[in-house]
Amino acid sequence: MTSAPLTSTAEPPASDPRAIDRAARWALLLLLASGLVWLAVGGVLALIHSIQLHTPGFLAASAWFTFGRTQAAAETALVYGWAANAGFAVALWLLGRLGGAPLRGLGLVKIGGAFWNLGVTLGVIGILAGDLTSFSLLQTPVYVQPLLLIAFAAVGTAGVLAWSGRRVGRTFAAQWYAVAALFAFPWIYSVAQAMLFALPVRGTMQAVVAAWAGQNVLSLWLGPLALAAAYYLVPKITGRTLAAYDLAAWGFGVLLVVGPWTGGRHLVGGPVPAWVPTVGIACSLLLLFHFMVVAINLRDALGNPTGSTALRFVALGVAAYILGGLVDAASAMRGIAEFVQFTYFAEAQTMLAILGGFTLPVFGAIYFLTPRVTGKAWGSDGLIKLHLGAAGLGLLLLVGGLAGAGVKQGLELNDAGTTFAAIFESVRPWLLVATAGVGLQLLGGVFLAVNLALQLQPDSDGAVVVPQPSAEPVP
Amino acid sequence: MNTSPANDPRREPAAISDDDLLAKHGQTVAEKAGAEDGARHGLLLIAAVFVFSGLVLASTIYLNRYSGHFNASIYNENGKPGGTAAAAPKALDPVALGKRQFQMACITCHQANGLGVPGAFPPLAGSDWANGNEERAIRIVLHGLGGEVKVGAAVFNGAMPSFGKVPGSGYNWRDDQIAAVLTYIRQEWGNQAGPVTPEQVTAIRTQEATRTKPWTAAELLAFGH
Amino acid sequence: MKNSPLFFVALFGALALSFGIVVLVSLRQLGQLDAYFDAGEGAAFPSRTPGLAARGLLVYRDLGCAACHTQQVRRPGFGADRERGWGERQSVARDYIYQTRVQLGQTRIGPDLTNFGERAAKAGTDQAKLFLNLFAGQGSMPAYPFLFEVRRIVGQPTKQALPVKSRAGYEVGPTRRAEALAAYLLSLKADFTYPEAQPLEPATEAKK
Repeated sequence: MTSAPLTSTAEPPASDPRAIDRAARWALLLLLASGLVWLAVGGVLALIHSIQLHTPGFLAASAWFTFGRTQAAAETALVYGWAANAGFAVALWLLGRLGGAPLRGLGLVKIGGAFWNLGVTLGVIGILAGDLTSFSLLQTPVYVQPLLLIAFAAVGTAGVLAWSGRRVGRTFAAQWYAVAALFAFPWIYSVAQAMLFALPVRGTMQAVVAAWAGQNVLSLWLGPLALAAAYYLVPKITGRTLAAYDLAAWGFGVLLVVGPWTGGRHLVGGPVPAWVPTVGIACSLLLLFHFMVVAINLRDALGNPTGSTALRFVALGVAAYILGGLVDAASAMRGIAEFVQFTYFAEAQTMLAILGGFTLPVFGAIYFLTPRVTGKAWGSDGLIKLHLGAAGLGLLLLVGGLAGAGVKQGLELNDAGTTFAAIFESVRPWLLVATAGVGLQLLGGVFLAVNLALQLQPDSDGAVVVPQPSAEPVP
Repeated sequence: MNTSPANDPRREPAAISDDDLLAKHGQTVAEKAGAEDGARHGLLLIAAVFVFSGLVLASTIYLNRYSGHFNASIYNENGKPGGTAAAAPKALDPVALGKRQFQMACITCHQANGLGVPGAFPPLAGSDWANGNEERAIRIVLHGLGGEVKVGAAVFNGAMPSFGKVPGSGYNWRDDQIAAVLTYIRQEWGNQAGPVTPEQVTAIRTQEATRTKPWTAAELLAFGH
Repeated sequence: MKNSPLFFVALFGALALSFGIVVLVSLRQLGQLDAYFDAGEGAAFPSRTPGLAARGLLVYRDLGCAACHTQQVRRPGFGADRERGWGERQSVARDYIYQTRVQLGQTRIGPDLTNFGERAAKAGTDQAKLFLNLFAGQGSMPAYPFLFEVRRIVGQPTKQALPVKSRAGYEVGPTRRAEALAAYLLSLKADFTYPEAQPLEPATEAKK
């Protein structure tokens, strides 16, 4: 990372973060608001799905909410609704900040964002109407996929422009991750669309493509977005330089080079040649290096000298991300996969990745960036802490409940004497715990919404202090 | 409010500016060469290289053990090429194959019980034409049989179609199919004649390569019983 | 990370490398898989799904049945698939070449369905029993009452009417979607053991 300033000797003039934030205000607020709406919708759908796991009769009378459709809809709303919008907002904001200049192409972001949300809305309604594609994490109906791709390209353009038009030559890890996420997704998604829907490949080849693309949605799109937020927030809030920053580039490189190969691990024992899952498993092991680098670099998040709650969100999120990586590698190996395959354990892993590894750092980023973008403080610090508690505990209950249910289910599935009715009875308590987890996380979202409403209130009381130049906080 | 804006937690205060963040991390690499904890830093890098090599080793061992030689036909991760239980296809049972051929074509006239239809189609059960000399039987199936023929006590005057590669034949059966159907007929319904081999069919087919007309009983009887 | 174009080229290269090896190589191996003609049976396998069953596959897809049911049998020794009677052999790629969208499934909240038709035939589960299960649900499987309709009895009750109580003069019967789905489920069988699906000879198993 040799410094290569644009001017030969002098440093460029200091950037004006406030101008950057002000310029991006409406685009980012649009994305954030859409994301929070989708978080609510996705949370409700996830709650319905979670209830249907232990109470199959819930809403079963309606074709719109039959189990298969609600699962796909919940996953789509959380990934393509919440995660996409929040990820866009966070990535664009920090690319703008680190790029040192107001974002260009914000009009494109607003239009792209609007069309993206239109596409996801049509997609979720389409899924509930039965047009789901049957491929995990790629469930959006075929007719909205091109719209999503184009909308993404529109929004991503602003991010790529912020990278290539940056004021300072040297870059920071957060920028690499954000740009990689914005660049990689269109390729992954268009390959999936071409090979699964436009010119479908034959038979189980579809499963191979879907596994490759679905895993990349998590490892190469959502993961990097969260890491971008984490890498930025940890030094920014603690004021300390990252511990082993030299390794950060290697961690990034290993994720990009090795990460996309891990999709095959979902096909263990399946109707594909044995080398496909083996390659996936071997690469999941190799990918542990990336998680190790992230752990070493971001361990200062645990220190938290300023008591910032946003940093606590980041710390919890990074811990969830690393745990996810370890669990993925361990459960991929055939000895363990034999027991946890086809169980709730896989759903636990997905939820850990989406609601833990991605959502928690992004919550931290949202708590950090929103006051800067709106120019106002959050309504209440207590609510932020409550949100942290609800989200953290909710994640623990959800992932723990599903994982416990999955392990129990897996052990009993491999015992031919146990009937499915018996399995259902024995995992029910765990599934109830998981539902409690989802409920808690929804509650956390309510805290965030209330806090945001308080923040966006017009200035009527003295609670929001108009900043004086001498008491300026660091932007 | 008693917290100044600088550390109001509701504003999530930052500790350094973006420019400083970029600058500090840009310097980390440059200063590692001569800084005070450069040695510790160097150790960390070496440790990272070791860990990475260890992971490469572990994943390569796993890949090597379970790759199935990257073969498209190996679905069991313990498999080696050519290791399936029946690498060669099972030998076909000529009687079963012949029975299917019979049910596809012959059954309409000669009936399932091999007794034919009196006055129209001759029986195969106990028939000398079917159980006797293979030369005649094979020729009948290859090129067909027309005109009067005495089977047992009855006389039939019909036209049996040809099943070999003859112009106007819709069938074009292979040697092993003709051999199979004859083998089936010669052991069914109480018939106890020996099987017919595909080689015998090939030989006769070559011998009669130019024949296109169906046989007559008189021509066939010349081949002996 | 200096040069913008180089960075993007490297990103694209990393993606393309994984795509090339994982996807394109498997495409070369599996993409042109064709039916296997067995001279002994005189037919090619896998057989295609017959008409109403093919429409039932669409119903299966749009209800998201793959969320609870897998359609892939693991090899004997890897889990209890054979002991549960789900299949004597591992599912291979050739079993799926005629499926327009493979429904391999993600979770086994319910049993594997690859050979459901065969199991149903052996157990005597006919269409009527299947309709009842779909209508009422069973254990962890929810009910699917929307696949059935209440209709007026004209003359005699239809043969397919479910034995459930309804208003006088009305019967509960399957919709076309239920009939298609039942036909599809009862047609599910992996009917042939391809050469690549044969079990391994013990001597050739690599030492564990």
